[in-house]
Amino acid sequence: SRRKRARARHKPCELRELEVSVSELGLGYESDETVLFRYCSGTCEAAVRSYDLSLKSMRSRRKIRKEKIRARPCCRPLAYDDDVSFLDAYNRYYTVNELSAKECGCV
Amino acid sequence: LASIFSGMDPATTSKSNHCLDAAKACNLNDNCKRLRSGYISTCSRELSATEPCSRRKCHKALRQFFDRVPGEFTFRLLFCSCKDPACAERRRQTIVPSCSYEDKDTPNCLDLRGACRADHLCRSRLADFHTNCQATFQSLTSCPGDNFQACLGSYAGLIGFDITPNYVDASTTSITISPWCSCKGSGNMEEECEKFLRDFTENPCLRNAIQAFGNGTDVNLAPKN
Repeated sequence: SRRKRARARHKPCELRELEVSVSELGLGYESDETVLFRYCSGTCEAAVRSYDLSLKSMRSRRKIRKEKIRARPCCRPLAYDDDVSFLDAYNRYYTVNELSAKECGCV
Repeated sequence: LASIFSGMDPATTSKSNHCLDAAKACNLNDNCKRLRSGYISTCSRELSATEPCSRRKCHKALRQFFDRVPGEFTFRLLFCSCKDPACAERRRQTIVPSCSYEDKDTPNCLDLRGACRADHLCRSRLADFHTNCQATFQSLTSCPGDNFQACLGSYAGLIGFDITPNYVDASTTSITISPWCSCKGSGNMEEECEKFLRDFTENPCLRNAIQAFGNGTDVNLAPKN
């Protein structure tokens, strides 16, 4: 239903996962091996800090104008998963680090 | 037909590549993935131009993988069945043979056995292998007590020791297993050496156990009353 969809879009920041092939990662490796890709997704409305409110206020009072600022917390990995290794289509092994999120948070 | 296979189009081969399925199963399990990455990164880490890897550390990481990951994952990786060379090459590559298996020179098999027997753990693992994979004519499967699992477990138990066995090539029709050694220079021990080597290269129990695992026909072969 519509309500359900709306709620799904506004889920709080959390860890999600996808099964993808190494080739699909877009890192330039050619391999049919499947890996678990964990990522951070969701909103951070509940995590607005005094910092964010004040920064917004400074911007609206034009005390900050030309700088690139972000006055909203962002759902990002706080920690990354262990290394993942795979054999590619040319029978060479590779190891990739910090591929997958382990823990998410509003930073 | 050969040209189709040598093209190694992933789309055509992935359908029945059990070795690729085994890698997927391992990658989706956190423990298996962590320990597999552990030995792969150790075994493929180049030290210098003259030393491609640290064999000692690679062997240790391999032993940890086979000791700490359940057989449902490790056996699938080691003994997956293959219909094409790409799959069989992946199976051969499981233990990162360039570091853990191959060497510049080929030692004599009895010298290798001697080196293994000097290490108490290798010695007992080798004894297990000889006990559990000893070809016998008294059973249907050629294995003692028709126990395939015991033979496969003992085989996996040798990986990461001086006597590490592996598939000698990527053949899909005939499975040949051997440690990295030959019987050249055995002198008057030649017969003894050949007998030892044949326990790997021409062992019907080991071969049947691997094939039965790959075909999924290893279940219920030993009826227990």
